[in-house]
Amino acid sequence: MSAPAVHIDLSPPPVVKTLAQRLMIAGIVLAIAAIALAFCRPDEFYRGYLLAFMDWLGVTLGSMAIIMVRHLTGGGWGVVIRRIQGAAMRTLPILTVLFIPIPIAVLQHRIYPWAMPVSSITDDHIREHLIKYPDVRGYLNMPGFIIRAIIYFAIWNVLSFLLTKWSHEGDSPSTRDNTKRFARLSGPGLILYGFTITFAAIDWVMSLDPTWISTIFGLIILAGQLLSAICFAVFVERILSDYKPMSELLKPDFVHDHGKWMLTFIMLWAYFSFSQWLIIWAGNLPNEITFYLKRLNGGWGWIGLILALFHFCVPFAILLSRPFKRNIRKLFWLAVWLLFMRWLDLFWIIEPNFSQTLHFTLADIVVSCAMGCLWLGFYFRNLASLPLLPAYDASIGEVLEPRHG
Amino acid sequence: MKRDPIYGMMAEFDSAQALLDAAHKTYQSGYRKIDAYSPFPIEGLADEIGFHHNSVPLVVLIGGIIGGCTGYLMQWWMSAVDYPLNIGGRPTHSWPSFIVITFEMTILFAGLSAVFGMLALNGLPMPYHPVFNVSRFAMASRDRFFLIVFSSDPKYNAPQTRSFLETLQPRSISEVPS
Repeated sequence: MSAPAVHIDLSPPPVVKTLAQRLMIAGIVLAIAAIALAFCRPDEFYRGYLLAFMDWLGVTLGSMAIIMVRHLTGGGWGVVIRRIQGAAMRTLPILTVLFIPIPIAVLQHRIYPWAMPVSSITDDHIREHLIKYPDVRGYLNMPGFIIRAIIYFAIWNVLSFLLTKWSHEGDSPSTRDNTKRFARLSGPGLILYGFTITFAAIDWVMSLDPTWISTIFGLIILAGQLLSAICFAVFVERILSDYKPMSELLKPDFVHDHGKWMLTFIMLWAYFSFSQWLIIWAGNLPNEITFYLKRLNGGWGWIGLILALFHFCVPFAILLSRPFKRNIRKLFWLAVWLLFMRWLDLFWIIEPNFSQTLHFTLADIVVSCAMGCLWLGFYFRNLASLPLLPAYDASIGEVLEPRHG
Repeated sequence: MKRDPIYGMMAEFDSAQALLDAAHKTYQSGYRKIDAYSPFPIEGLADEIGFHHNSVPLVVLIGGIIGGCTGYLMQWWMSAVDYPLNIGGRPTHSWPSFIVITFEMTILFAGLSAVFGMLALNGLPMPYHPVFNVSRFAMASRDRFFLIVFSSDPKYNAPQTRSFLETLQPRSISEVPS
């Protein structure tokens, strides 16, 4: 592979390290508050924890998936965000550790009804279902839950490790062309991601109501993760676009492509979410419709309406505009908004399992913020550790060539 | 209206990059009524000849909105007004079941608007076009790239335009009769 002449400094700007330190400090302070909540109000803490975990896992796994898509398709849009997303992917070991409280919740017979003794399940419908169908616990049980989680995390960590290792090797000119190697891993990697995230979504989220089934649920989570990841990439590239080298490299064409991805994933999420709703609404069967009865009554319906309007309709209409998609400053605000909508969507999926009427607990907010700050702290530390661009990527020429006109 | 006997001055180039550079210089030197022809789409070429906006997206948007409304109203009229049927005890006007067809009609109308809007705006089908009067222009669908300055351009002046085009080092220059 002929080495392209990279004549600009690709090291991350110092602001990245400053952000990493400040966010880490904020994260530690908030984490202390979160731990305090874990002792005062453990049930609320674990719900909030699951919500926070699923939200930040979404950014991480979604980033890995988009990196793998890029390795299969090529293109300049992906080179500019490869390291931005790579740093998110490399937080997987942290998230693997952060997963531990969830099996602890299972061990303590909390939040997951199938992990509780039948007599202590408060929801009549779930209790009767578990008595009538004891086989449910043949799949949803403590050892199974942990073994499956180990498999998911093993697969994700291996993928992340290899993609990172090869990407790092590719930073020196002497090594061989990695393009083929990346593509050979990414094809099967994406298929594995599709399967593991479906099973993980069933284990960790859908099983909060073991009476309910929806075959499209894993795909809704998957589409949400991809959306989170591309929005997060836009968020970071906006921060970096004020500093060298990104201020010179981020062309409107690339931002345009990222805006198109946002539009795509919004539509994908809406398509999956609406399909689930339409099928369950049309079927109107007792074991399926409870999901929406819980989520449309007692004030929860307002959250659903907000999601339909502001997770889909309004961003969709805005993103139809070509000038908007090409403007990183404007796109940034929509990305931040959608990251919040991702959290609200997971909130609307997880929390109505525990309360008939709409309410936010302190833990929902504190734990999400604590995990967010810690995650971002590690994220920016990762981002600071490698050059901002993979200098020997096959598509690097597109990024380094001067702007038109 | 009497037509100008000369349609424009056309230059022939060997590569996409040469055409891009030529288009850039021609636009920079003040020519506005210009056009370019190539065997395949070239990224950035439209911008270089000053063709930044077209109305197809607007036509598609309007078509899509009309299609969506038509689809929804059609179902509402059929299911709730003209021939109400009790389906599983649901209200006759059940919006969730209308969404799929509404969506499909949006796509259908938007797609048709894109095709016919495009044809209406670019004037196709066009049985006669003066550029084909130059026999070499047949190469435009193979491996040659053409740039034309129309005689309707205010800056157009046959000898001056020809000498300007010569500075772009084309393979050949021809005057195009209307």
